[in-house]
Amino acid sequence: MPKGIGRSAGILAVACICGIASGMFGIGGGVLLVPLLGLLFAFGQHRAQGTSLIALIPPTGILALLAYARGGFVSWKTGLLLIPGVFLGGILGGHLVKWIKPVKMRQIFAGILFALGAWQAFAAWWQ
Amino acid sequence: MTLVILLLGLVVGVLVGLLGIGGGVVLVPAMVYLLHMDQHMAQGTSLFILLPPIGLGALREYWKQGQVDLKAGLLCALGMLVGAYAGSLVALPLASRHLKGMFGCFLMISAVLLWRKSQVEGRPSRAAEETSHA
Repeated sequence: MPKGIGRSAGILAVACICGIASGMFGIGGGVLLVPLLGLLFAFGQHRAQGTSLIALIPPTGILALLAYARGGFVSWKTGLLLIPGVFLGGILGGHLVKWIKPVKMRQIFAGILFALGAWQAFAAWWQ
Repeated sequence: MTLVILLLGLVVGVLVGLLGIGGGVVLVPAMVYLLHMDQHMAQGTSLFILLPPIGLGALREYWKQGQVDLKAGLLCALGMLVGAYAGSLVALPLASRHLKGMFGCFLMISAVLLWRKSQVEGRPSRAAEETSHA
């Protein structure tokens, strides 16, 4: 495992890559950050998830959001309706993580994600 | 429709807390298919939802259990701020159809990475470490 400055620079570089995915696909970036912190920097799963959550607290997507807003690509009303649910659900999920073995759950999530991705790519390019 | 949107938020939120992700990766396809949004519109709206600290409640639970690396988290935030802007500049001129297809490919890559992390964790040494923390 790289130490000190090298490790910090590595984390920063990985975060930049996650950020590019974040701006390109309108996501938080945690879905890349969590596995990469684990695979490249030997974070335990819970620690990777907690660290990803703290990285998502500052409005990291704000510059990207402004760029989308300039293009007229933001539905403000739908966004406002989704925010309270995501917040409350987050607290619930944070509690649940203590009771559920995360390995199985993450594999199920990975499976769903893969199917969803395949469906999107198919719908976009072959339909 | 409003009820559907509120419920969708709750479901995505549970995933946020469980997996330590922002939720956009689920929100974007959900808005495309359930709310019939255009790919660019869904991505812009997802970025808007991620603007307030929606993960704060979940973070509190992780913080109490000492599972947060503050320094690494701040570094990640900085990198993502810059990277996200660069990414948006790439995405905005793309045709919606190609963006949707690329999003699909991205989801598949993320899924493989998540799956691989699960396998690493399955090794006995890591399993022992997990139980000693519990």
